[in-house]
Amino acid sequence: MADTNPIKQFEVHEVFPFEAFGLNLAFTNSSYFMMLTTGLTIVLFAVAMSSRALVPNRAQSVAEIIYGFVADMVRSTAGQEGLRFFPFVFTLFIFILVANMLGMFPYFPAPGAHSFTITSHLIVTVALAMLVWLTVIVYGVFKNGAKFLKIFVPSGVPIFILPFVTLIEIISFVSRPISHSVRLFANMLAGHILLKVFAGFIVMLAAGSASMGMGELPGYLAGVFPFAMTLGLTALEFLVAFLQAYVFAILTCIYLNDALHPGH
Amino acid sequence: MSGEDDNPRNQSRAELDELQLRIDATRGKHQQPAGKPPSSAWALGMRYGSEFFGGVLVGGVLGYVLDVFAGISPFGLIIGTMLGFAAGTLNVVRAAREISSESDGDKA
Repeated sequence: MADTNPIKQFEVHEVFPFEAFGLNLAFTNSSYFMMLTTGLTIVLFAVAMSSRALVPNRAQSVAEIIYGFVADMVRSTAGQEGLRFFPFVFTLFIFILVANMLGMFPYFPAPGAHSFTITSHLIVTVALAMLVWLTVIVYGVFKNGAKFLKIFVPSGVPIFILPFVTLIEIISFVSRPISHSVRLFANMLAGHILLKVFAGFIVMLAAGSASMGMGELPGYLAGVFPFAMTLGLTALEFLVAFLQAYVFAILTCIYLNDALHPGH
Repeated sequence: MSGEDDNPRNQSRAELDELQLRIDATRGKHQQPAGKPPSSAWALGMRYGSEFFGGVLVGGVLGYVLDVFAGISPFGLIIGTMLGFAAGTLNVVRAAREISSESDGDKA
Protein backbone atom coordinates (compact mmCIF):
# COMPACT_ATOMS: atom_id res chain seq x y z
CA MET A 1 0.00 0.00 0.00
CA ALA A 2 1.28 3.42 -0.91
CA ASP A 3 2.06 5.91 1.79
CA THR A 4 -1.04 7.92 2.62
CA ASN A 5 0.42 10.09 5.35
CA PRO A 6 -0.94 13.53 4.43
CA ILE A 7 1.73 15.53 6.27
CA LYS A 8 4.76 13.71 4.96
CA GLN A 9 4.96 16.32 2.19
CA PHE A 10 6.01 18.95 4.73
CA GLU A 11 9.09 17.08 5.93
CA VAL A 12 12.36 18.94 5.65
CA HIS A 13 15.27 16.66 4.92
CA GLU A 14 18.93 17.39 4.53
CA VAL A 15 20.51 17.11 1.12
CA PHE A 16 24.06 18.23 1.88
CA PRO A 17 24.82 18.05 5.60
CA PHE A 18 26.89 21.02 6.68
CA GLU A 19 27.79 22.26 10.12
CA ALA A 20 29.55 25.46 11.15
CA PHE A 21 30.06 27.07 14.58
CA GLY A 22 27.98 24.31 16.16
CA LEU A 23 24.97 25.24 14.02
CA ASN A 24 23.28 22.89 11.62
CA LEU A 25 23.44 24.76 8.30
CA ALA A 26 22.60 21.83 6.06
CA PHE A 27 21.29 22.45 2.57
CA THR A 28 17.75 21.04 2.74
CA ASN A 29 14.94 20.52 0.27
CA SER A 30 13.51 23.75 1.68
CA SER A 31 16.69 25.63 0.71
CA TYR A 32 16.52 23.93 -2.68
CA PHE A 33 13.03 25.27 -3.32
CA MET A 34 13.89 28.75 -2.09
CA MET A 35 16.84 28.95 -4.45
CA LEU A 36 14.76 27.46 -7.24
CA THR A 37 12.01 30.05 -6.65
CA THR A 38 14.49 32.92 -6.82
CA GLY A 39 16.42 31.49 -9.76
CA LEU A 40 13.29 30.64 -11.75
CA THR A 41 11.87 34.14 -11.23
CA ILE A 42 15.07 35.79 -12.41
CA VAL A 43 15.45 33.52 -15.44
CA LEU A 44 11.78 33.76 -16.47
CA PHE A 45 11.74 37.54 -16.24
CA ALA A 46 15.09 37.88 -18.00
CA VAL A 47 13.88 35.68 -20.86
CA ALA A 48 10.47 37.36 -21.02
CA MET A 49 11.96 40.85 -21.18
CA SER A 50 14.94 39.96 -23.39
CA SER A 51 13.33 41.18 -26.62
CA ARG A 52 12.22 44.53 -25.11
CA ALA A 53 9.82 45.01 -27.97
CA LEU A 54 7.48 47.98 -28.18
CA VAL A 55 4.74 45.56 -29.14
CA PRO A 56 5.28 42.75 -26.64
CA ASN A 57 5.11 39.07 -27.42
CA ARG A 58 3.24 36.74 -25.11
CA ALA A 59 5.95 36.23 -22.50
CA GLN A 60 6.77 39.92 -22.36
CA SER A 61 3.13 40.92 -21.96
CA VAL A 62 2.74 38.48 -19.06
CA ALA A 63 5.73 40.10 -17.35
CA GLU A 64 4.29 43.55 -18.06
CA ILE A 65 0.86 42.58 -16.74
CA ILE A 66 2.40 41.35 -13.48
CA TYR A 67 4.40 44.57 -13.23
CA GLY A 68 1.32 46.72 -13.87
CA PHE A 69 -0.77 44.66 -11.49
CA VAL A 70 1.62 45.16 -8.57
CA ALA A 71 2.25 48.83 -9.44
CA ASP A 72 -1.52 49.50 -9.43
CA MET A 73 -1.85 47.72 -6.12
CA VAL A 74 0.91 49.78 -4.51
CA ARG A 75 -0.40 53.04 -5.97
CA SER A 76 -4.01 52.45 -4.94
CA THR A 77 -3.24 51.46 -1.33
CA ALA A 78 -0.08 53.41 -0.42
CA GLY A 79 -0.36 56.32 -2.86
CA GLN A 80 2.19 57.71 -5.28
CA GLU A 81 4.77 57.95 -2.49
CA GLY A 82 4.40 54.24 -1.83
CA LEU A 83 5.95 53.50 -5.21
CA ARG A 84 9.41 53.77 -3.67
CA PHE A 85 8.55 50.45 -2.02
CA PHE A 86 7.47 48.94 -5.32
CA PRO A 87 10.61 46.76 -5.70
CA PHE A 88 10.10 45.41 -2.18
CA VAL A 89 6.42 44.59 -2.65
CA PHE A 90 7.04 43.16 -6.11
CA THR A 91 9.79 40.88 -4.79
CA LEU A 92 7.59 39.63 -1.96
CA PHE A 93 4.63 39.06 -4.28
CA ILE A 94 6.57 37.19 -6.94
CA PHE A 95 8.54 35.13 -4.41
CA ILE A 96 5.40 33.93 -2.63
CA LEU A 97 3.52 33.40 -5.88
CA VAL A 98 6.25 31.31 -7.49
CA ALA A 99 6.88 29.38 -4.26
CA ASN A 100 3.16 28.58 -3.93
CA MET A 101 2.94 27.53 -7.56
CA LEU A 102 6.02 25.29 -7.30
CA GLY A 103 4.32 23.63 -4.36
CA MET A 104 1.44 22.59 -6.61
CA PHE A 105 3.53 20.01 -8.49
CA PRO A 106 2.84 16.49 -7.17
CA TYR A 107 6.17 15.20 -8.46
CA PHE A 108 9.14 17.39 -9.07
CA PRO A 109 12.82 17.07 -9.99
CA ALA A 110 13.87 17.72 -6.42
CA PRO A 111 15.37 15.82 -3.50
CA GLY A 112 12.87 13.11 -2.62
CA ALA A 113 11.20 13.53 -6.02
CA HIS A 114 8.28 15.40 -4.45
CA SER A 115 7.59 19.09 -4.42
CA PHE A 116 7.74 21.16 -1.28
CA THR A 117 5.82 24.33 -0.43
CA ILE A 118 8.18 26.60 1.47
CA THR A 119 5.30 28.92 2.45
CA SER A 120 3.67 26.02 4.33
CA HIS A 121 6.34 26.42 7.01
CA LEU A 122 5.64 29.00 9.68
CA ILE A 123 9.27 30.02 10.06
CA VAL A 124 9.45 31.14 6.42
CA THR A 125 6.27 33.21 6.53
CA VAL A 126 7.24 34.70 9.91
CA ALA A 127 10.57 35.77 8.45
CA LEU A 128 8.78 37.48 5.55
CA ALA A 129 6.22 39.13 7.83
CA MET A 130 8.87 40.34 10.28
CA LEU A 131 10.78 41.83 7.36
CA VAL A 132 7.70 43.88 6.44
CA TRP A 133 6.96 44.82 10.05
CA LEU A 134 10.52 45.96 10.78
CA THR A 135 10.62 47.89 7.50
CA VAL A 136 7.46 49.74 8.58
CA ILE A 137 8.96 50.61 11.97
CA VAL A 138 12.41 51.61 10.71
CA TYR A 139 11.14 53.62 7.77
CA GLY A 140 8.28 55.14 9.79
CA VAL A 141 10.63 56.38 12.50
CA PHE A 142 13.25 57.48 9.96
CA LYS A 143 10.76 59.50 7.93
CA ASN A 144 8.37 60.84 10.59
CA GLY A 145 10.44 60.72 13.77
CA ALA A 146 8.28 60.88 16.88
CA LYS A 147 5.22 61.61 14.74
CA PHE A 148 5.23 57.93 13.82
CA LEU A 149 3.86 57.22 17.32
CA LYS A 150 0.64 58.92 16.20
CA ILE A 151 -0.52 55.63 14.74
CA PHE A 152 -1.00 54.45 18.33
CA VAL A 153 -3.04 57.48 19.36
CA PRO A 154 -6.23 57.83 17.34
CA SER A 155 -7.60 61.35 17.19
CA GLY A 156 -10.99 62.32 18.63
CA VAL A 157 -10.95 59.91 21.57
CA PRO A 158 -12.03 61.19 25.01
CA ILE A 159 -9.01 61.64 27.28
CA PHE A 160 -10.12 59.25 30.02
CA ILE A 161 -10.26 56.19 27.73
CA LEU A 162 -7.23 57.23 25.68
CA PRO A 163 -4.75 55.05 27.67
CA PHE A 164 -6.87 51.96 27.03
CA VAL A 165 -7.27 52.72 23.35
CA THR A 166 -3.55 53.35 23.01
CA LEU A 167 -2.77 50.05 24.73
CA ILE A 168 -5.19 48.24 22.42
CA GLU A 169 -3.65 49.95 19.40
CA ILE A 170 -0.18 48.84 20.49
CA ILE A 171 -1.34 45.23 20.89
CA SER A 172 -3.02 45.47 17.51
CA PHE A 173 0.21 46.73 15.95
CA VAL A 174 2.32 44.01 17.55
CA SER A 175 -0.13 41.35 16.39
CA ARG A 176 0.30 42.34 12.73
CA PRO A 177 3.25 40.09 11.85
CA ILE A 178 1.46 37.19 13.52
CA SER A 179 -1.76 37.48 11.56
CA HIS A 180 0.23 38.37 8.44
CA SER A 181 2.34 35.20 8.62
CA VAL A 182 -0.20 32.78 10.09
CA ARG A 183 -2.68 33.49 7.32
CA LEU A 184 -0.32 32.55 4.51
CA PHE A 185 1.08 29.56 6.39
CA ALA A 186 -2.32 28.19 7.47
CA ASN A 187 -3.83 28.54 4.02
CA MET A 188 -1.03 26.65 2.32
CA LEU A 189 -0.80 24.00 5.05
CA ALA A 190 -4.54 23.33 5.26
CA GLY A 191 -5.04 23.26 1.50
CA HIS A 192 -2.20 20.83 0.88
CA ILE A 193 -3.26 18.52 3.71
CA LEU A 194 -6.83 18.47 2.40
CA LEU A 195 -5.57 17.63 -1.07
CA LYS A 196 -3.46 14.73 0.16
CA VAL A 197 -6.20 13.41 2.46
CA PHE A 198 -8.68 13.10 -0.39
CA ALA A 199 -6.07 11.62 -2.71
CA GLY A 200 -5.19 9.13 0.03
CA PHE A 201 -8.82 7.92 0.15
CA ILE A 202 -8.42 6.43 -3.34
CA VAL A 203 -5.54 4.24 -2.19
CA MET A 204 -7.32 3.35 1.04
CA LEU A 205 -10.49 2.31 -0.83
CA ALA A 206 -8.49 0.01 -3.09
CA ALA A 207 -6.64 -1.53 -0.16
CA GLY A 208 -9.90 -1.88 1.76
CA SER A 209 -11.71 -3.73 -1.00
CA ALA A 210 -8.68 -5.98 -1.53
CA SER A 211 -8.61 -6.89 2.16
CA MET A 212 -12.29 -7.90 1.96
CA GLY A 213 -11.39 -10.39 -0.74
CA MET A 214 -13.04 -8.53 -3.64
CA GLY A 215 -9.87 -7.48 -5.37
CA GLU A 216 -8.80 -3.90 -5.90
CA LEU A 217 -11.15 -3.05 -8.75
CA PRO A 218 -14.31 -2.14 -6.76
CA GLY A 219 -12.18 0.08 -4.58
CA TYR A 220 -10.75 1.91 -7.55
CA LEU A 221 -14.24 2.33 -9.02
CA ALA A 222 -15.45 3.90 -5.79
CA GLY A 223 -12.29 5.98 -5.85
CA VAL A 224 -13.83 8.07 -8.63
CA PHE A 225 -15.59 10.17 -5.99
CA PRO A 226 -12.53 11.20 -3.94
CA PHE A 227 -10.73 11.68 -7.25
CA ALA A 228 -13.37 14.19 -8.39
CA MET A 229 -12.96 15.96 -5.05
CA THR A 230 -9.18 16.05 -5.47
CA LEU A 231 -9.61 17.49 -8.94
CA GLY A 232 -11.85 20.29 -7.67
CA LEU A 233 -9.58 21.01 -4.72
CA THR A 234 -6.57 21.25 -7.01
CA ALA A 235 -8.28 24.02 -8.96
CA LEU A 236 -9.18 25.74 -5.69
CA GLU A 237 -5.59 25.41 -4.50
CA PHE A 238 -4.32 27.21 -7.59
CA LEU A 239 -6.71 30.06 -6.77
CA VAL A 240 -5.56 30.07 -3.14
CA ALA A 241 -1.89 30.03 -4.20
CA PHE A 242 -2.42 33.20 -6.21
CA LEU A 243 -4.83 34.82 -3.77
CA GLN A 244 -2.56 34.40 -0.77
CA ALA A 245 0.38 35.96 -2.59
CA TYR A 246 -1.94 38.85 -3.48
CA VAL A 247 -3.26 39.19 0.07
CA PHE A 248 0.24 39.14 1.52
CA ALA A 249 1.37 41.85 -0.90
CA ILE A 250 -1.67 44.09 -0.41
CA LEU A 251 -1.40 43.89 3.37
CA THR A 252 2.26 44.84 3.01
CA CYS A 253 1.08 47.94 1.10
CA ILE A 254 -1.50 48.77 3.76
CA TYR A 255 1.11 48.48 6.52
CA LEU A 256 3.63 50.53 4.54
CA ASN A 257 0.94 53.18 4.13
CA ASP A 258 1.00 53.59 7.92
CA ALA A 259 4.71 54.24 7.79
CA LEU A 260 4.27 56.80 5.01
CA HIS A 261 1.23 58.58 6.42
CA PRO A 262 0.89 58.00 10.18
CA GLY A 263 -2.21 59.31 11.90
CA HIS A 264 -4.77 58.26 9.30
CA MET B 1 -5.51 84.73 -31.38
CA SER B 2 -6.03 83.54 -34.91
CA GLY B 3 -2.27 83.67 -35.41
CA GLU B 4 -1.79 81.14 -32.67
CA ASP B 5 -4.22 78.67 -34.18
CA ASP B 6 -2.70 79.01 -37.62
CA ASN B 7 0.73 78.05 -36.33
CA PRO B 8 1.10 74.38 -37.29
CA ARG B 9 3.35 73.78 -34.29
CA ASN B 10 0.71 74.91 -31.83
CA GLN B 11 -1.95 73.00 -33.70
CA SER B 12 -0.06 69.72 -33.42
CA ARG B 13 0.60 70.57 -29.79
CA ALA B 14 -3.14 70.92 -29.20
CA GLU B 15 -3.76 67.64 -30.97
CA LEU B 16 -1.18 65.96 -28.78
CA ASP B 17 -2.83 67.34 -25.65
CA GLU B 18 -6.16 66.05 -26.81
CA LEU B 19 -4.65 62.65 -27.51
CA GLN B 20 -3.12 62.63 -24.02
CA LEU B 21 -6.54 63.38 -22.55
CA ARG B 22 -8.07 60.51 -24.50
CA ILE B 23 -5.26 58.17 -23.36
CA ASP B 24 -5.75 59.18 -19.74
CA ALA B 25 -9.50 58.66 -19.99
CA THR B 26 -9.06 55.20 -21.51
CA ARG B 27 -6.40 54.25 -19.03
CA GLY B 28 -8.56 55.34 -16.12
CA LYS B 29 -11.44 53.30 -17.47
CA HIS B 30 -9.32 50.20 -17.90
CA GLN B 31 -7.40 50.37 -14.67
CA GLN B 32 -10.43 50.52 -12.43
CA PRO B 33 -11.36 46.83 -12.61
CA ALA B 34 -7.75 45.65 -12.77
CA GLY B 35 -6.01 44.67 -9.56
CA LYS B 36 -9.07 43.08 -8.01
CA PRO B 37 -8.83 39.32 -8.18
CA PRO B 38 -11.76 37.19 -7.10
CA SER B 39 -11.68 36.70 -3.35
CA SER B 40 -12.94 33.40 -2.00
CA ALA B 41 -14.99 33.06 1.15
CA TRP B 42 -12.31 30.72 2.49
CA ALA B 43 -9.66 33.42 2.16
CA LEU B 44 -11.96 35.94 3.79
CA GLY B 45 -12.66 33.71 6.77
CA MET B 46 -8.97 32.92 7.14
CA ARG B 47 -8.23 36.64 7.14
CA TYR B 48 -10.70 37.44 9.93
CA GLY B 49 -9.65 34.39 11.91
CA SER B 50 -5.95 35.17 11.84
CA GLU B 51 -6.53 38.86 12.64
CA PHE B 52 -8.51 37.95 15.74
CA PHE B 53 -6.17 35.15 16.77
CA GLY B 54 -3.14 37.44 16.46
CA GLY B 55 -4.66 40.08 18.72
CA VAL B 56 -5.61 37.64 21.49
CA LEU B 57 -2.26 35.85 21.33
CA VAL B 58 -0.19 39.02 21.53
CA GLY B 59 -2.33 40.44 24.36
CA GLY B 60 -2.06 37.22 26.35
CA VAL B 61 1.69 36.87 25.81
CA LEU B 62 2.38 40.50 26.72
CA GLY B 63 0.31 40.09 29.88
CA TYR B 64 2.12 36.89 30.77
CA VAL B 65 5.53 38.50 30.25
CA LEU B 66 4.42 41.33 32.53
CA ASP B 67 3.40 38.72 35.10
CA VAL B 68 6.80 37.06 35.03
CA PHE B 69 8.81 40.26 35.25
CA ALA B 70 6.63 42.31 37.59
CA GLY B 71 5.47 39.39 39.72
CA ILE B 72 1.80 40.34 39.63
CA SER B 73 0.55 36.94 38.50
CA PRO B 74 -2.18 36.30 37.41
CA PHE B 75 -3.48 39.82 36.81
CA GLY B 76 -1.20 40.60 33.87
CA LEU B 77 -2.43 37.54 32.00
CA ILE B 78 -6.08 38.31 32.74
CA ILE B 79 -5.93 41.96 31.75
CA GLY B 80 -3.61 41.27 28.82
CA THR B 81 -5.95 38.65 27.38
CA MET B 82 -8.93 40.99 27.76
CA LEU B 83 -7.08 43.80 26.02
CA GLY B 84 -6.00 41.24 23.43
CA PHE B 85 -9.63 40.37 22.70
CA ALA B 86 -10.31 44.09 22.24
CA ALA B 87 -7.31 44.41 19.90
CA GLY B 88 -8.41 41.33 17.95
CA THR B 89 -11.88 42.79 17.53
CA LEU B 90 -10.33 46.05 16.38
CA ASN B 91 -8.25 44.14 13.83
CA VAL B 92 -11.34 42.36 12.52
CA VAL B 93 -13.30 45.63 12.25
CA ARG B 94 -10.40 47.21 10.33
CA ALA B 95 -10.12 44.23 8.01
CA ALA B 96 -13.88 44.31 7.37
CA ARG B 97 -13.71 48.03 6.59
CA GLU B 98 -10.85 47.50 4.14
CA ILE B 99 -12.63 44.65 2.40
CA SER B 100 -15.95 46.50 2.12
CA SER B 101 -14.23 49.62 0.78
CA GLU B 102 -12.36 47.42 -1.70
CA SER B 103 -15.55 45.84 -3.01
CA ASP B 104 -17.34 49.19 -3.17
CA GLY B 105 -14.48 50.43 -5.30
CA ASP B 106 -14.86 54.20 -5.72
CA LYS B 107 -16.13 54.75 -2.17
CA ALA B 108 -12.68 54.26 -0.63
